Amino acid sequence: MSMYQVKPVCGSLLKPDLPTCMYTLPNIHGQQGNSCTSDLCSEHALQNGEVDPAVKALEARQDEILRKLYELKAAVDGLAKTVTTPDADLDLTVSSSLSSQSPSSTTFTGVTNLDTLIGKDLGALRDIVINANPAQPPLTLLVLHSVLCQRYRVLSTVHVHSSVSNVPPQLLSCLGPRHADSYARQMFQLGFTLIWKDVPKLQMKFSVQNMCPIEGEANVARFLFKLMSPYPSDAALATLVDSWVDMAFFQLAEGSAKERAAVLRALNSALGRSPWLAGQEFSLADMACYCCVFAERPCLLYSL
Amino acid sequence: MTKDEVQGAMEEDQAQSKKGLKKQQKEAEKAVKKAEKQAKLAADQQGSEEDDFAKDRYGVPPMVQSQQKLDRVLARVEDLSPEKADQLIWLRARVHTSRAKGKQCFLVLRQQQFNVQALVAVGDRASKQMVKFAANITKESIVDVEASVRKVEQKIESCTQQDVELHIERIFVISQSEARLPLQLEDAVRPDGEGEEEGRATVNQDTKLDNRVIDLRTTTSQAIFRLQSGVCKLFRDTLTNKGFVEIQTPKIISAASEGGANVFTVSYFKTSAYLAQSPQLYKQMCICADFDKVFCVGPVFRAEDSNTHRHLTEFVGLDIEMAFSYHYHEVIDSITDTMVQIFKGLRENFQTEILTVNKQYPSEPFKFLEPTLRLEYTEALAMLHQAGVEMGDEEDLSTPNEKLLGRLVKEKYDTDFYVLDKYPLAVRPFYTMPDPNNAKYSNSYDMFMRGEEILSGAQRVHDAQLLTERAMHHQIDLEKIKSYIDSFRYGAPPTWRRRHWPGESVHAVPRPPQHSSDLHVPT
Repeated sequence: MSMYQVKPVCGSLLKPDLPTCMYTLPNIHGQQGNSCTSDLCSEHALQNGEVDPAVKALEARQDEILRKLYELKAAVDGLAKTVTTPDADLDLTVSSSLSSQSPSSTTFTGVTNLDTLIGKDLGALRDIVINANPAQPPLTLLVLHSVLCQRYRVLSTVHVHSSVSNVPPQLLSCLGPRHADSYARQMFQLGFTLIWKDVPKLQMKFSVQNMCPIEGEANVARFLFKLMSPYPSDAALATLVDSWVDMAFFQLAEGSAKERAAVLRALNSALGRSPWLAGQEFSLADMACYCCVFAERPCLLYSL
Repeated sequence: MTKDEVQGAMEEDQAQSKKGLKKQQKEAEKAVKKAEKQAKLAADQQGSEEDDFAKDRYGVPPMVQSQQKLDRVLARVEDLSPEKADQLIWLRARVHTSRAKGKQCFLVLRQQQFNVQALVAVGDRASKQMVKFAANITKESIVDVEASVRKVEQKIESCTQQDVELHIERIFVISQSEARLPLQLEDAVRPDGEGEEEGRATVNQDTKLDNRVIDLRTTTSQAIFRLQSGVCKLFRDTLTNKGFVEIQTPKIISAASEGGANVFTVSYFKTSAYLAQSPQLYKQMCICADFDKVFCVGPVFRAEDSNTHRHLTEFVGLDIEMAFSYHYHEVIDSITDTMVQIFKGLRENFQTEILTVNKQYPSEPFKFLEPTLRLEYTEALAMLHQAGVEMGDEEDLSTPNEKLLGRLVKEKYDTDFYVLDKYPLAVRPFYTMPDPNNAKYSNSYDMFMRGEEILSGAQRVHDAQLLTERAMHHQIDLEKIKSYIDSFRYGAPPTWRRRHWPGESVHAVPRPPQHSSDLHVPT
């Protein structure tokens, strides 16, 4: 051994983020020794009359494709259901659900497991409680709710707290008609309880352990969105989404006329460059900005 | 004795006599002054008696014996508002307090829970004597006054009518109270604890009950009785609107209705009878006789020998009974809606009374959701588990756990009233209907208010076969409940449920503890 030995610069643990839309091939660079042994093994297994692992992999891939097809079918069914009602909100719901589902179902399969996201199922309904002021209905959350309903079995209930009176009837039915099975709460994966209440800021309560409420529509929207598809893993992209969401709620919804005009201009130029605000993929930023623009100036969107 | 000393003694003598002289002089002067003063006073009195121009504006008139029927309109204290400014009104009220100060006398006149400040001042309408007379009226006397209503610039914090005061022009005592009262009204409404801190008096429960007539005059008592009446009225109104029929049931009964324990025996001529501890049997009979929906409001007697606010020997029970068509949630919806209507009615129509009671018994405002929150037992267990409570899946809630759950639910949902549904079958009586989806649970529920169970109910098994199975599972002697099972064998309505509802809905507002000798609720 006359040369210096150097540790590998790039660890073998590093796995490149490979697209899954293409056929996968075994890695030809790494783990050469292993592949040799596995080849030997497979030959050995074949000799014993067992099923070829390649066949198994093929079956798994077929199952995966079928599953994706079912998901697509469900999305189309949802579209067919809602397309009959000409409502701007619902139109958005459909488009957002399609676009949010397509990347998540292709890229992020498996993470939609509720247990890993919001704690283990204790055999009871996990209820998300949202306190909202009827003076400022949280449009974003209503949209997110209808997307959630397409993904999970959601028990939606609307209550009026004793601190407010005379809530308009359309706010009482904003989560849609009562589910036929709503008498059995256990049959649902997720509870979405909207309480119209006299609160200065929208708040959400979920965990009993730390009773600390999450305040602000933007933060609650982030939580709900993460229940369906994770945030971009790229820090820069995640920050971009966050900044759009904050811009929507602070400057579009609450800002002065000047600030609003500035954000609208920024939206215009961003959407001129790419199909969605955060690049090629639909994100919470698009949903938030749409809802805030809609809340302020519905006519603006109808004219588009 | 030396010369010096003698001289000194003489000087002392002289000095003493000088002092004595001065003293005598002073006394003489004093006597003169006194005589002068007396003469002046007498003269004053004479003079004033002679020219008391306001003589017929005050006094004690002859006892009201219905000698004459006056067409005088008496105003009510609660209606005195700035809109009535500068009007001359007649008013009959009690003297709550009086305070004389020089040439004027301040009275606080009280009518039920409302009071107003009144003023008698020496002027062209009232004389010195009139002010003196007003100042000497004993507390709690009933007076008739004619007065003009005046707006005040600074709010009168101590009275309920804060924007106006009365300038009295005539005052007559209709009924005089004794000067010494067994208890002071201000002391009786002082919140617990406050008296001790400031060294002020509070009144013991016993003293209050021994002098209930005076205690009932306090603003707090007035408000509590109005609230009780309000709860019953709202209960009746809501249920009548829902198509319920109010029924009256016997209170002296020949056989104990529920179990047989905790029942008062009373002598009934040559034999004995029992005081009804639930109208349950009669409600069931009405349902079986196709009344469909009934309710009753009436006294319930229970020989409970424990001293808690949930074990009363006599209380007013608000009972409802209804048949349902397909699902026992029809009943839950009906009951919770009734409760919500009562809460809303109290919030809208009894705000003054609630505030009055709050002054003596401070409490947080009652919070509720519409429609009422319904949680399932498993959810409650999950919440308790997360809060660190260890208990089994089919274990009943202990009282501390009920309270903790109440706090957790309040924290998450911000409601003081909720329904807990689907109790484990194991902790419920044998006649409770099992849950169709999970045999571990049952179609039964409890309702909670501020962390305490106020009502419990269940769908009952109405099938003789299933009932026999359930009874055997609980190892109950079938012979003993034969008649109960047979009642279903011979054709009872297919689905019906019953549950007793103790009249604890009054707990929506804080209620002071009541003495066992004083449980009569005038409804």
